[in-house]
Amino acid sequence: MSAAALAVLLPVLAAIGLGFAGTPLRGAYANLIVCAVVFLLTIGVFFSPGTGVVQADPLGMIFGLLGGFIALTTAISNIDFVRGEVENMSPGRWRVYHAMCQLMLGATLLGLYADNIGLLWGAVETATIAATLGVSLPRTASALEAAWKYFVLGGVGIALALFGTAVTYLAAQPALGPGLAGMSFAALSAHAGQLDGRLMTLAFVFLLFGYGTKAALVPLHGWLPDAYAEGPAPLTATLSGLLLNVALIAILRFRHLMQANVASGGDAMLPGPFLLTLGLASLLLTAFSLWGRRDSRRFFGFSSIEHSGIAAFAFGIGGGAAIFAGLLHMLLHTLIKSALFQALTRAAALRGGAAPGNFGFSHLRGLAATNRPLAWLLGACIFALTGLPPSGLFSSEFLIISQTIQRQPLLSLPLGLGLVVCAIAIIRLIGPLLFNPAPRRGMLPVKAGAGIGAAGVHLLVVLVLAFAMPPALVRMLSSIAGGLQ
Amino acid sequence: MIQAYPLAHALAAVLLLCAFALLSQRRLSAMITLYQSEALVLSAAAFWQGYAQGSDDLVLTGIITLSIKGVLLPMALRRIVHRFNLIRAVETVMPVGLSMILGVLLIGIAVKVVLPSTASAVTLTREDLAIALSVVLLGLLVMTTRRNALSQVIGFLSTENGLVLAAIGMPGMPFVAELSVALLVLAALLVVGVFVFQLREHSETLDLSGIEEIERRGR
Repeated sequence: MSAAALAVLLPVLAAIGLGFAGTPLRGAYANLIVCAVVFLLTIGVFFSPGTGVVQADPLGMIFGLLGGFIALTTAISNIDFVRGEVENMSPGRWRVYHAMCQLMLGATLLGLYADNIGLLWGAVETATIAATLGVSLPRTASALEAAWKYFVLGGVGIALALFGTAVTYLAAQPALGPGLAGMSFAALSAHAGQLDGRLMTLAFVFLLFGYGTKAALVPLHGWLPDAYAEGPAPLTATLSGLLLNVALIAILRFRHLMQANVASGGDAMLPGPFLLTLGLASLLLTAFSLWGRRDSRRFFGFSSIEHSGIAAFAFGIGGGAAIFAGLLHMLLHTLIKSALFQALTRAAALRGGAAPGNFGFSHLRGLAATNRPLAWLLGACIFALTGLPPSGLFSSEFLIISQTIQRQPLLSLPLGLGLVVCAIAIIRLIGPLLFNPAPRRGMLPVKAGAGIGAAGVHLLVVLVLAFAMPPALVRMLSSIAGGLQ
Repeated sequence: MIQAYPLAHALAAVLLLCAFALLSQRRLSAMITLYQSEALVLSAAAFWQGYAQGSDDLVLTGIITLSIKGVLLPMALRRIVHRFNLIRAVETVMPVGLSMILGVLLIGIAVKVVLPSTASAVTLTREDLAIALSVVLLGLLVMTTRRNALSQVIGFLSTENGLVLAAIGMPGMPFVAELSVALLVLAALLVVGVFVFQLREHSETLDLSGIEEIERRGR
């Protein structure tokens, strides 16, 4: 069995085990061990990508490795989280929580490694269910409401995506005939010119709205801030951030089918304008929504929508360089955002528990007084999110803007405006959060523990990726971007 | 294969009729009955396609549809209605007549979009796909025009029937049974979700802490 298939199967099997046995703390350690093995397996995928329906291509490998890495660091910080919160949920619910963490990981990896549009759909659907159950775990009225919203919106999105999947298969019939080939990305991409272009357009609209719901592109984003704010943070904010990538990559691949069809004289419509519209809408809506948020997780949820939109915009611009930039942007943003949520969760835990109510900015402010290292780390994460140099996101955003000026000069104005407004909205938080007086007098300094080191490692990786990317990775990403343009 | 058209189209048309009637129906028990008949027709269509295409996968889909969607889910829905005494007519966002006009428009759009773009496709699937898309859109319309959670779920279930109808009409599509099971899991969880919600709404010890929490924190 290939490493890719093992990396998908192991978390799913572990989910069953974790769901039925173990105390919360033991579950957290078992979760860590499984994540460590899965991380090694995601490295192994580079050497053993598998065959048949689970067959990782270079794009899947890179993002799979990212997923494995983030799952590992999340599992490390998860131990502190479980220690602090163990009283707040029954052992049974903790079991469900750890099982859903693993199921989420397995589904994410399947979504990245599958060379089959049906399997991709199944993976996204499973991840949706896992995330919804995760959000509903605190059982407060607001958590249930967020879970319901997620479920209904996610369910409709998933339904649309399945319709698109079936129509894609139908569009492939003239070229590939019945059977598995009509659902394989590799085969579809090789015969993109012979696909039925008009059917592909119909399929693409459904797929874009379906997977766009999962990627939280405006106007399909409604579930995300609530889901991030109400569920247990490591599962619903950090791990489900990986799902945004799966959805965006799915959109990127289908976009490529359309583009290749047009390029070889097919009847498909150009996919660019669709993506540009949704991407810009996401960016501009967040530029307004980021102001006046009082809950930090909701705030950073909106910022995820922004970055999802930027990546979609880059894909819409098209061409090798823009797609390279979009993929780089996704890699960097995922690393930064997961580090940020790990640090944020720790900060809330030190301020009296990481329950959903404790993430208000007013509750967290003045961090430097109580824990200096954590405060600087969190400050660095938030600064990195703005995209100002020396943040890694600067390099990808710079590339995207320069490509926009080359290819669609008029669109660079709203893009630049959105980026600047978002950056200001984010950067104005750092001062109060770190240096304002703490909400209550006499808060004593507390130790954050070694667990937050993982978030620091994330930021280091971001710096390396943005400013000193290994040449092998550059070649790999460029050839992926060139193949998908 | 030629003989397969009339019956396949007839079954799909009955399904569409049920989906359309769902739009006009405001009583939950009647909506459930309509959903049940949709599921029965769908399973018949799956059996027929399985026979016509000679595919065991589709027969399996038919069996799953018949047993779970035709029998178990409606039973569960009826129990929810009975237990929480939801016999009143459901509040709608717009007058029923208006939503029916919208429904007709949606069917028109579906036909207008699908038929021209499938001119070259295998003909068995052409009309089937147009009807399936209509059912999907009608289900979504039901979801948007109802205020009550249970009737929204029934709308989603109807949408899901349209999807399965689309999938079984595709010649030789792999994984149809697996995909329909995956959809069913989603649908079953939605029904459980409605149950949990109703339970919370009706229990004496309604936990309002979450709402206060939101008020305190602000959005």
